[in-house]
Amino acid sequence: MVISRTIVSLLALISPVLFAEDLGEMWGTAEEEAKYYPIVNIPIPPEIPMRPGSFEILPDGRLAVGTRRGDIYFISGVFENPPAPKYRLFASGQDEIFGLAWKDGVMTVTQFGEVTKIYDTDGDEVADVYETLTNNWGYAEGHEFAFGSKHDPEGNIWVALGLSGSYKSNNLFRGWAVKVTPDGEMIPICSGLRSPGGVGPNAEGAMFCIESQGPWNGSCSLKHLKPGGFLGHPASYNWYPFVPGMDAPAVEPNSPSRFQVEKKRVKELVPPVIRFPYIKMGRSISGFRLNQTGGKFGPFEDQIFLGDYTLSLIMRATTEKINGVWQGACYPFREGLATGLMHVEFSPKGQLIAGGFTTNRQWPVRGTEPYAIQRIDWTGVVPFEIKEINITTDGFVIHFTKPIDTAQSTKTDLYKLETYTHNYAAGYGSPEVDHTTPKVIKAEPADDGLSVRIYLDGIVEGHIHDFDLTGIRSKEGAPLLHKKAYYTVNEIPKK
Amino acid sequence: MKFVSPHLFGIWLLVCAVSPVCAQPSIPGFDTSQIDSELKGRILIEELNCVACHSSDAPFAGRSKIAPRLAAVGSRVNPAHLEAFIANPLITKPGTTMPDVMGNLNDEDRAETAKAITHFLLSNQKQNDFSLQPPDHVAAVEGKRLFHSRGCVACHSARDERGNENSNELMLPQPTPLGALEKKYSVKSLVDFLKRPHAVRPSGRMPDMNLQGNEADRIAHYLLQDTRVPGHLSYTLYRGQVWEGLKSDTVQAERASQVDNFALESLGKIQHQTAITYEGWLNIPLSGSYSFFIEMNGGSLLIDGMEIIQEVPSNRRGPKKFNGSAKLWKGWHKIQLTYFHTGRDPKFSFEMQGPEFPRQALPSAMLSVSREPIPPFEPLAVEAKLAARGKIHFEKLGCASCHNDLDVTSPPGPAFSTLKNGHGCLSEQPGELPTFILNQKRREWISKALPKIKTQPLNDQQKIATTMVKFNCIGCHDRTGVGGIPPKLDQYFTGTKPALGDQGRIPPSLSHVGAKLTPEWIAEVLLRGGRQRNYLDASMPQFGEGNVGHLVELFGKVDKLEKVKLPEVSNIQESKDAGYEMMGTEGFSCIACHDYNGQEAVGAGALDIVNVTDRIQKNWFHLYMREPQRFHASVIMPSYWPGGKSVRPNILEGDSGQQIEALWNYLADGPRAKKPKGLSRQSNEIRVSDVAEICRGRGTAGYRGIGVGYPEGLNLAFDSEEMALRLLWKGAFATVNHGSFRAHGEQRIAFPLGIPFHRLKSMDDSWPYKGKSNYTFPQDHEYQFRGYQLDEKRRPTFRYDYGDIKVEDFFEDIPEANGKAWFKRTFTFETSDAQKAFYFRAGSGKKITHPSDGTYLVDQLEIRITSPHKGVIRDGDPAELLIPLTLPEGKSNLNLEYRW
Repeated sequence: MVISRTIVSLLALISPVLFAEDLGEMWGTAEEEAKYYPIVNIPIPPEIPMRPGSFEILPDGRLAVGTRRGDIYFISGVFENPPAPKYRLFASGQDEIFGLAWKDGVMTVTQFGEVTKIYDTDGDEVADVYETLTNNWGYAEGHEFAFGSKHDPEGNIWVALGLSGSYKSNNLFRGWAVKVTPDGEMIPICSGLRSPGGVGPNAEGAMFCIESQGPWNGSCSLKHLKPGGFLGHPASYNWYPFVPGMDAPAVEPNSPSRFQVEKKRVKELVPPVIRFPYIKMGRSISGFRLNQTGGKFGPFEDQIFLGDYTLSLIMRATTEKINGVWQGACYPFREGLATGLMHVEFSPKGQLIAGGFTTNRQWPVRGTEPYAIQRIDWTGVVPFEIKEINITTDGFVIHFTKPIDTAQSTKTDLYKLETYTHNYAAGYGSPEVDHTTPKVIKAEPADDGLSVRIYLDGIVEGHIHDFDLTGIRSKEGAPLLHKKAYYTVNEIPKK
Repeated sequence: MKFVSPHLFGIWLLVCAVSPVCAQPSIPGFDTSQIDSELKGRILIEELNCVACHSSDAPFAGRSKIAPRLAAVGSRVNPAHLEAFIANPLITKPGTTMPDVMGNLNDEDRAETAKAITHFLLSNQKQNDFSLQPPDHVAAVEGKRLFHSRGCVACHSARDERGNENSNELMLPQPTPLGALEKKYSVKSLVDFLKRPHAVRPSGRMPDMNLQGNEADRIAHYLLQDTRVPGHLSYTLYRGQVWEGLKSDTVQAERASQVDNFALESLGKIQHQTAITYEGWLNIPLSGSYSFFIEMNGGSLLIDGMEIIQEVPSNRRGPKKFNGSAKLWKGWHKIQLTYFHTGRDPKFSFEMQGPEFPRQALPSAMLSVSREPIPPFEPLAVEAKLAARGKIHFEKLGCASCHNDLDVTSPPGPAFSTLKNGHGCLSEQPGELPTFILNQKRREWISKALPKIKTQPLNDQQKIATTMVKFNCIGCHDRTGVGGIPPKLDQYFTGTKPALGDQGRIPPSLSHVGAKLTPEWIAEVLLRGGRQRNYLDASMPQFGEGNVGHLVELFGKVDKLEKVKLPEVSNIQESKDAGYEMMGTEGFSCIACHDYNGQEAVGAGALDIVNVTDRIQKNWFHLYMREPQRFHASVIMPSYWPGGKSVRPNILEGDSGQQIEALWNYLADGPRAKKPKGLSRQSNEIRVSDVAEICRGRGTAGYRGIGVGYPEGLNLAFDSEEMALRLLWKGAFATVNHGSFRAHGEQRIAFPLGIPFHRLKSMDDSWPYKGKSNYTFPQDHEYQFRGYQLDEKRRPTFRYDYGDIKVEDFFEDIPEANGKAWFKRTFTFETSDAQKAFYFRAGSGKKITHPSDGTYLVDQLEIRITSPHKGVIRDGDPAELLIPLTLPEGKSNLNLEYRW
């Protein structure tokens, strides 16, 4: 006989407890976004193993897709309405393609092991030459991803090399960005990357790449590939002896610390250009592309559009150079895409192509399709949005896509602002820390109503300035489509 | 409920002298076969092995069913069961074909005789290693599915939820009985039997079911789930995301058995994310209050169903310490413990403390899987005297006539030709003669067959018909209206391609099979386990060449269909091209439904059509393509030539015969045919057709590997990091999985790590290769990979630099008449300056020989140098074949041939 103190059914123990990973709240704006930027599916025939990893536009207007399986498809009809895609297999058998760049009849491909020029010589439009430009970086462990850019004006391809197993740098130049010249010379650019994604320029031609949250990275960010720079993760210090003319930084960053502290100690440290607050603005940003469609995609010319893998959404970003350092802001744009986004690309018609895939259990993804290519069209109707935020010596200028209600907009309590930063530390990720609430002293709308200058009682260097403009109304009295924007202050203008 | 036929019961009670509960010998296809009654008599004579006692030299003698081999019966069968079965075969296993040979003995003598014979049978082996293993109820769950889906139930009774055979509604007319298997076999001996049934039962009535992997084990655990073995604790081990609880979809039971105590080490190495449930009985020596101490991440302890300790597991923290107590009376208490091996630094300890019982782990002696004692299996100690007596019984009772593998000979009965109706075994009172339970009809059939069986040989049709009954082919296959799956068993025949309807789950009809399949393919399926319809869950059993091999020729002789007038093809290439066009998505889109060369179809998943011309006769192909529904009433395959008219009049002028012939000609190229348009690329397995296939990435040849599959069935892996050949193999090419590939196939030749060319400082110098920390290798040895270019067959020429030398490295697959292909490798060097000597390392191995000029054997690989170069064998472990090279300015070559 047993006398037991508590009787709790064993069923409680063995009943399933669901641990489906919580991907955070959605913005909740998809329905409204669709009025301006509807999403169109590009059909993929079932016989094609399409796991898109990169896109390129061919001169004849076709879409080229590089896949994780290592194939390149040329697809016509993607930009028609409705899409009438026809797929042609141009090249196959490569190793996970995360970079396509077409130039002079040659596709330059960034794959895990090398940068390769792929082209056809006999006119059947099936590639027969696979010419290695360089394979001179180390590749001997898992997770050693390689993401490549388009050609820069000199014809170079920039490649961002992920760490070994995403934590260490055991093989040559893991954690570095390198530049590969048209002659196949590989020039190391900067160290300090962790698990980078897409690589590309802003409107001024400076090169950037995406970085993921993790050790030494409190959040996802856009990083400037500054020659000679150190981008934050010290695991890749060990390759400086292999770079003629470049010395290792004299010191390693302290942990835990802050960027604004360490950038004074480690003079090579380049703080992230734009940090993306976790969940609020993506969870694993992937590829990005500069919008230079000449207005065909709406009011966001020369801005950067970024896809997010985990949350299946697209964001915008703007950059400006302050005191010689790049910084800028990010803005919500479109959510509700079908799969984990790996890359985006603008079509000649000014549509935004977005695509990617999910993996089996490796990483959670909000979009449910195993793979997809989608297209975001602009209806021609301008949404009421925060267009861009620029910093001033004593505040910010907020630009809008449509005139605001100027009379109302002088009220300072309409501009809700808080600031915070992240730990700069060896541990994985960071909560938001050091919160402050700056006071808006004055708000001055421009006469045309397309911008407003706000004056703060203090800008906080090193902090993300988190804007909530829920109260702002357009001239017609409409609320903003997205109320939020996030400006990363690395520097405050001196004048 | 035991099987008693009321009809049989009434008439044959007298014959069934030993017991009212017995049945006629079971021959599973017999009663439903609709075979001529004359042939039924013959089948009975063969299946009951009359010729074993009544000798005959007629052909049927050779077709008679041989009794089980008994030489190793002591390792196979529980001696207790053996004795019981010998004493009363017709009661112990109703439906057995073994007769009762002790009809004139009283119960006591019968028991004595059986015991003696058992001792004799066990004396034939020095050691009888029969022992019992506890059943694994996890394996049994899968075993149940396999038993019911692999086709066992075509002959043996399906089983009810509790595992009982012969529950009424599941019964065949007369299934082959299995009896209480847990009394007869151990898990080990049943697995041995299922894997090689012909070794014990050479006549193949129990076929080899072609069980794969551990299917035999699982079926054995299912059939023996009632076996009871003494022990201390029962356990079940689970794997998966166990912190979500045992009922989570992600958690699966992996195994179950018994263990001595709660120490984790007793279960072998425990992997992270495991859960274990223990169950047993705890014998408490003194009444009193007992405390329990557990350290674990999560789990529960129940005693007599009451919860003492319980903690929800978490994968996000380490183990915690728990204690609880209970007042326990002296005696047995049920103990159930669940332990979750998850979270940080998982560990498990379980201790108890009580009156005169200091805190300690529970000793095995206090634990038992059962409250009531389970008697352990006691091996039989053979007594020589008894065995000697048993041998005499075995001889005298005629046992040795059937079981003739034991160096004992029983006195023969009257010769077969002298047998008379209604006498001897066929009489109603056989007395000391063997007792067979045979109803009036069966006796009549035997009587009628007796005089004819010797004198009237069977014609081919009859030979096929009797074979198909004896081996119960008709239990699964229909042949011109006879046989097929009985309605009661229909539910057990399942498949993995539901879109194929009945064709995806029911074994195919054998009507016209001899006019449909090539004899080679019939032989492959019937005798060598060949299989095309992998989507059927049922196995194709193997009955043994000696038993059913004659069917191959007979089907061909008997089955006839009208001959199609085959069209004349003037241009074979034009015909093949038309076939290629029709096959793809712009033609008839055959590949929409049919798998093609291992690439799964997007649609139904009908059988793979590559190599169909090796399996099917051309005449039948023409007949079938014109009118598929003629051969399968419920066929899904549409006709593309309805009424003889093609739906694609633009191909080959719409000539139906030419079009079908064109498909045949195209398919006759097998896997080498050009891949049809629109063929799915979803499969990870890459198959080579008319052009080479390439895949790159980590796996077979380092991280920068390049795999190439060549049309002639040769494959290689090239390491573009070191610019060296890494692996040669033949047959199937490779599977890819984003960024990695793995070689398939066979006959692998591996090459050592290291660059291809090098200037050795001396012959003691070691050959350089990329280690973990020579980061700039091989660029620091002046190497640079430059990529590859494909020729018209998409075969690559690898390009790389070695110093100032531009190297082109091309492998060509050369076919040979005997079907054996080999590689011709051509290096082309280009340099602006003459180059001082360096070596090419052609191979390395344990043994290198030089049998003739220019030819070297490197283990299994033959390397021939066909350019004016000579090899040097460098001794060492391994030895190396080096070829010294000095290059002139401009272009030069090194030519090699690889055969293996």
